[in-house]
Amino acid sequence: MRSAFSAALTRLGRDNPDVLLITGDHGYALFDEFRKACPDQFINAGIAEQNMVGMAAGLARLGFRPFVYGLSAFVPIRVVEQIKMDIAHDDLPVVILGDGAGFVYSHLGPSHQSAEDIACARSVPGLTVLSPGDRYEMTACMDLAYDLRGPVYMRMGKADRGEVHAGTLSPLVVGEPICVRAGPADAPALLATGAMLTTAVQLAEQHGPMAVWSMPSIKPLSTEAIAAIARSSSAIIVMEEHSVHGGLGAAVTEIVTEVEPCRVLRIGIRDRFSKHCGSYDYLLREHGLDLASVKERVDAFTATV
Amino acid sequence: MSKGAHSGHRSIYDTNPLHLPFVPLCGPIRHFPRGSPLMTPSVSWPQNDAFDPRSLRETVLAMARAGNTGHVGCAFSIVEIMAVLYRSFVRYPGGDPRHPDRDYLVLSKGHGVMAQYACMRELGWLNDKEHIERYFGDGSDLMGLSDSRTPGLEVSSGSLGHGFSVGVGIAEGLRRRGTDQRVFAIVGDGELNEGPIWEGMLFASHNKLSNLMMIVDANGFQAMGRTDDVMELGSIRQKLESFGFETADVDGHDQGALETAIRTLIASNSPRPKALVAKTIKGKGVPFMEHDNQWHYRHLSAQDYEASIEALRAEVAL
Repeated sequence: MRSAFSAALTRLGRDNPDVLLITGDHGYALFDEFRKACPDQFINAGIAEQNMVGMAAGLARLGFRPFVYGLSAFVPIRVVEQIKMDIAHDDLPVVILGDGAGFVYSHLGPSHQSAEDIACARSVPGLTVLSPGDRYEMTACMDLAYDLRGPVYMRMGKADRGEVHAGTLSPLVVGEPICVRAGPADAPALLATGAMLTTAVQLAEQHGPMAVWSMPSIKPLSTEAIAAIARSSSAIIVMEEHSVHGGLGAAVTEIVTEVEPCRVLRIGIRDRFSKHCGSYDYLLREHGLDLASVKERVDAFTATV
Repeated sequence: MSKGAHSGHRSIYDTNPLHLPFVPLCGPIRHFPRGSPLMTPSVSWPQNDAFDPRSLRETVLAMARAGNTGHVGCAFSIVEIMAVLYRSFVRYPGGDPRHPDRDYLVLSKGHGVMAQYACMRELGWLNDKEHIERYFGDGSDLMGLSDSRTPGLEVSSGSLGHGFSVGVGIAEGLRRRGTDQRVFAIVGDGELNEGPIWEGMLFASHNKLSNLMMIVDANGFQAMGRTDDVMELGSIRQKLESFGFETADVDGHDQGALETAIRTLIASNSPRPKALVAKTIKGKGVPFMEHDNQWHYRHLSAQDYEASIEALRAEVAL
């Protein structure tokens, strides 16, 4: 997934010399390919995220196409005001890349863990929010982010959870879910984004027939598409490695309560910080986001609908 | 009421959509040699008698009265700085506030925006009927802080510490384009409390953005009181110098001195970014407003307005 990211960025940079990669002193080896191919299009803005995002706005005003990279615990969280006022307010074509979302930095504690970024980004007017779930979605999201020519936040979570799609995707339509597997109308549909997508597919395989929808595009979200999923299933289960407050689960709930009321189970990070140190898999267990814990909740929920 | 719903009022956005600067500039990198004809001032540019500080302050008072607004003191401290920049330094080919080859006047201390509006009025970019007399009217265009959707204003800077970084990004972009365009960024001394300003200075210095000139409006006040009492800055010039800027001090109300100082900094061959520390007086021009921070907030009553105009005219007559 990370090599797909690097390849897409390098391709965009080669195709358009106005593409700039601006990093807040993060991405040590990740950008080797880009720096080799486009050395003059790489800017290390130092450990100074606020100035970095403001500068990206200035560069975009002159016609450059900045991709601004940071850890999602800092970018967008620390700079949400710069994204709001310097970039989104003027609808500037800046792509904000927040890496290490969720519990990627499991050993480093809550300062580097990111459960709030989607919620913050969703509330900024006109900011598109993307969250790829495998390498093919990564490539498609990078192309979409570039083609949108507006402000985009792209969340990058745990990158080694395997592939869900069989191959290259057709161009993404912003706001539209991707059907990963169909399911019967009398079972809940699973909607998942980012690293939880592979868990959703594994769950559907264990649980019995259930539709699985991937949600690489979180905002805007097609009201029609979500309503259609609600109509064609008994309930909706949303899975994300993000707070249950303000994330994809919240976004889906907001839509269905208005247009197609149905039960929604939001599986995500509950309202608390990580308590312990440990591996990524350990932290998923601590937060009840590992496959076994999720299956338990889904089984209990399914029994009630 | 939405902007579009306001009947009979032609918005300045109608003819100047925000996205204009982006689309036409996406082509290949263009190079303008120093002294390119594109850079000569427009023939229609107002001549030396324009941007008279007394007239600019009267416009500010008229706006403040029309809108019943505060922030008069913040605008008055930068009147001469604005006048000199518009009269002699900031280049707008064809007099077009959105021309891609213009210099960028970035008002990072957005609270002084009425001084910039007053200059934009002299340029014909704003008019009395729609903008000055309707300031703060329902459905009107001009905000009480710098807003980049208004042609002529480059940044949205009500939140302090934003505009300077955007200006640094513009300067970096102009350097990459290889043009001789410049960025003038007006920063308040109170605004220097904000961290991103210093982040931006580090970047500008490291990347040798000699096309950037930071102008500090050192009026000695911020929202709650004197800068010395709130967050003592010591020597601003020494701090900027230590951050790698080529610096100068100047009396921010002496137009001749401002002109000389800016010209000298621009003429320098040093690769360093430039900074001018302009010592100013908050509320300058109306004696009862000078050094009195209540004019950061106080709304201008009809009586205040009359007294201010009278005091302003008497002051200039001396």
